[in-house]
Amino acid sequence: MSVAQAEAKELEVEQPSGLWSDAWRRLRRNPAAWAGAGLLAVFIVVAIAAPLIAPYGPQERVGDLASVPPGPSREYLFGLDEQGRDLLSRIIYGARLSLIVGVVSVGIGLSLGLVLGALAGYLGGRVDSIIMRLMDIMLSIPGFLLAIGLVTLLGRGLFQIMFAIGITTVPVFARLLRGSILAQREADYVLAARSVGTPGHRLLLVHILPNALAPVIVQATLAMATAIIDVAGLSFVGLGPNDPGLPEWGAILAQNAARLQNAAHMVFFAGFAIVFSVLAFNLLGDALRESIDPKMRT
Amino acid sequence: MALLEVRDLAVKFATRGKTVHAVNGISFDLEAGQTLGIVGESGCGKSVSSLAMLGILPRPAGRVTGGSVRFDGTDLLGLSDAKLRDIRGNDLAMVFQDPMTSLNPVLTVGRQLTESLRSHLGMSKREARDEAVSLLDRVGINDARSRLRSYPHQFSGGMRQRVMIAMAISCRPKVLIADEPTTALDVTIQAQILDLLRGLVAAEGMALILITHDLGVVAGVCERTNVMYAGRFVETAPTGKLFADPKHPYTVGLLKSVPRLDARRKQRLSPIAGAPRDLTSAPTGCAFAPRCTYATPESWDQLPLLREIAPDHHVACWNPVPEADLVTAGLRPAARGEPA
Amino acid sequence: MLRYVAKRLLLLVPVLIGLSFLVFIFVRSLPGGPAIALLGERATEESVQAIERQLGLDQPLPVQYLRYARNLAGGNLGSSVLTRQPVSTELRQKFPATMELAIAAMLFAIGAGVPLGFVAAKRYQGVLDNASLVASLIGISFPVFFLALIMKYVFAVRLGWLPSIGRLDVTRSLAHPTGFYLLDAVLARDWDAFVDVLAHLLMPAIALGTIPLAIIARITRAATLDVLSEDYVRTARAKGLSGGVVNRRHVLRNALLPVVTVIGLQTGLLLTGAVLTETVFAWPGVGTWMLNAIRNRDYAVLQGGIVFFAFIVVLVNLVVDLSYALLNPRIRYR
Repeated sequence: MSVAQAEAKELEVEQPSGLWSDAWRRLRRNPAAWAGAGLLAVFIVVAIAAPLIAPYGPQERVGDLASVPPGPSREYLFGLDEQGRDLLSRIIYGARLSLIVGVVSVGIGLSLGLVLGALAGYLGGRVDSIIMRLMDIMLSIPGFLLAIGLVTLLGRGLFQIMFAIGITTVPVFARLLRGSILAQREADYVLAARSVGTPGHRLLLVHILPNALAPVIVQATLAMATAIIDVAGLSFVGLGPNDPGLPEWGAILAQNAARLQNAAHMVFFAGFAIVFSVLAFNLLGDALRESIDPKMRT
Repeated sequence: MALLEVRDLAVKFATRGKTVHAVNGISFDLEAGQTLGIVGESGCGKSVSSLAMLGILPRPAGRVTGGSVRFDGTDLLGLSDAKLRDIRGNDLAMVFQDPMTSLNPVLTVGRQLTESLRSHLGMSKREARDEAVSLLDRVGINDARSRLRSYPHQFSGGMRQRVMIAMAISCRPKVLIADEPTTALDVTIQAQILDLLRGLVAAEGMALILITHDLGVVAGVCERTNVMYAGRFVETAPTGKLFADPKHPYTVGLLKSVPRLDARRKQRLSPIAGAPRDLTSAPTGCAFAPRCTYATPESWDQLPLLREIAPDHHVACWNPVPEADLVTAGLRPAARGEPA
Repeated sequence: MLRYVAKRLLLLVPVLIGLSFLVFIFVRSLPGGPAIALLGERATEESVQAIERQLGLDQPLPVQYLRYARNLAGGNLGSSVLTRQPVSTELRQKFPATMELAIAAMLFAIGAGVPLGFVAAKRYQGVLDNASLVASLIGISFPVFFLALIMKYVFAVRLGWLPSIGRLDVTRSLAHPTGFYLLDAVLARDWDAFVDVLAHLLMPAIALGTIPLAIIARITRAATLDVLSEDYVRTARAKGLSGGVVNRRHVLRNALLPVVTVIGLQTGLLLTGAVLTETVFAWPGVGTWMLNAIRNRDYAVLQGGIVFFAFIVVLVNLVVDLSYALLNPRIRYR
């Protein structure tokens, strides 16, 4: 490499760049981010294209009823379940359900949390302390138990379940947003905007929110992982979606947990489907966090 | 044979695929009881050399790549870790720059003071505590016995630096290295700490290496001063001679940037132009050439080595600063009484 | 320090009041209301009215809440529909099993997680460091019940090394005055029983402890990395202290501060994990009890269990905050 080339490279590295482009550069270099994005891409493609990929329908009976369902074979890669349905197809369709649950429940939690956090952080005073005390109380109830309570209360419809899981994530988002609003309210650029008479709501939307976005994205990614685990957990304790025909991974796992001797393949395939989809979000969320805040090495 | 003999010490740092030549062969002798100042800008390698002497370079990035450090005749760089630990903190002790961060926040001052007494001198808990009290007394901390139970955050910055000094001198070291001991402190406290150091060195007969970026600090404390630039000494002389008759353009630059009470009022402080050079590649010529008004083609091509230009006065420069320029720079108040 | 404790205790009051209020609303809004919750869904009209009068449900809501709160403060959580026993009595019987499991899991998580994180940080970006990072990410991606099932399948069903259900072999009898079987076995000097209890405890504890382990290892690693670059560690090395002393006294002591906080934050996770783990291993604790309640719509029990767990979380976090203050002089002497 010539001197000029070396210097050119140096310049490129030291070019001043914004938070986002910095983060993006670090993200691209992180193998964990690639692994997470890859897994997630597979997960999303499988979920969307389920009817094209799955060899059979999720409810389609291709074998006989059997108390000892046949395990993996060349014909049925993941084996059959006790009702003679192709497990691979059910797992593939299950991806749809998990993805929807993840996105919708985090969407609910995120929007509620952001509204509450913004109100608390922006209005301050009494509103702030009431909202934050409420969040403290919610945080004192372990998230999954809160979801159990809410589902007991609301019933076992799919939407109710997603709502219950979403609610458990509200305090985290509210705290996060309130924290960054408080941190930024006194920041120079906000003061500058205020001094030229930018109205409050505009300040919040244009200046404060975009800067609070980075940690919220990270948290949302990680919350997806928790949501997928939680819905499976609800199924496992008998509070899953009340339609037993739904190919929900946690339900498949739960229905066969008591018969490990005979139906281990169903437990394992459903379980690893959960693990891989959760891992995708965890890998990506972790890499995102590291790229946004390289000092946070957890 | 001198107490401490450093020969051609070289240190490299490897960070993210780049190698930084932090120290490029420095040599000096230190006699028992002698005081030596090492002066240079931040990043010139002065702190790194002291860490290297004590064998506590940050690993695995920092590495001694050459030279020797002889203390009382033994080469420290060749010693095993355990042997070196016996000397470190015992015969060779160090005071660091920032007393706010250099003390452990969760241990009492007493605990931190007594731990080297106990490990090096094998004192019992009680003996060590009594000794710690007298150490705190000696560095000017009142009510020493009850202060032993305090935590660092309960002390002010100056007091913490006194504690650091007490810790460093606890085993009566033969050599004390003070790395920017006053930089993080208020100006009034700086003078107190320097007084304390000067007094202790005289009373205990310790040799002192005072590392600083501030020639003013060296002036009152050190017998000799070595000026360091880009990992090399560029000028070494007895301190008085260095101030009276600086030869290296960099030394002159440093002196010009020190405010002087005896300077004419219109005299401006002149900072040295440009930034310290990037140490990622080994230089071919004089490292100071890019910032030097005296640089000639020779300066760019060939590395100047230290040579003796007056008795006990060494300079590494092809074009030492001429007398006349010292006068115009205001470093020689030759024409006193002139109307201001 | 006393002021800190007082302040911390005072902060609890609104949380506990709010919590009781939430649970009150929860019970009130359950399908059919509290009467059904108490009597079950097949209750007759008369008995419902009788119980509503008895519970004061014909009175205005604030009065009802005060009555509820007073009961709660006195430890009265209502009665189980199924067994007709007071919820608090059943809770007292069930909770030692859960506690024993949770403590064992936490000990495993701390005992393995802290050294792992510490060593990983000391070998920053080495093979072990990277491997442990990947392993911990995979670890936290496992639903706890799936992990428990895998372990049960491998070690109990396939290999037959460990018992798969319960706390004690059915053929064995052990007086259990404390309810903590390990302790009971020691008290009875029944060492065979002790080993048996330990064998039963091993798999559930490891399954439950694995996720906290992964989290603790990650935090320890991050905290250690931060501390290793601190000036006071350099000072300690400059004193000529041995590597072990520097690591223990100066590095670990500081690095453990954030770990303590995280251990507190794990309590909630640990308790919900316990509910799921207990199910897999038929562990007769609060978790199994609550799951039975869900199946039987025994809402009083469910409500009691949630209140109890929330109370434990609040309590543990209090203890953690106080011990954090104790470990960190900067807070203790503020």
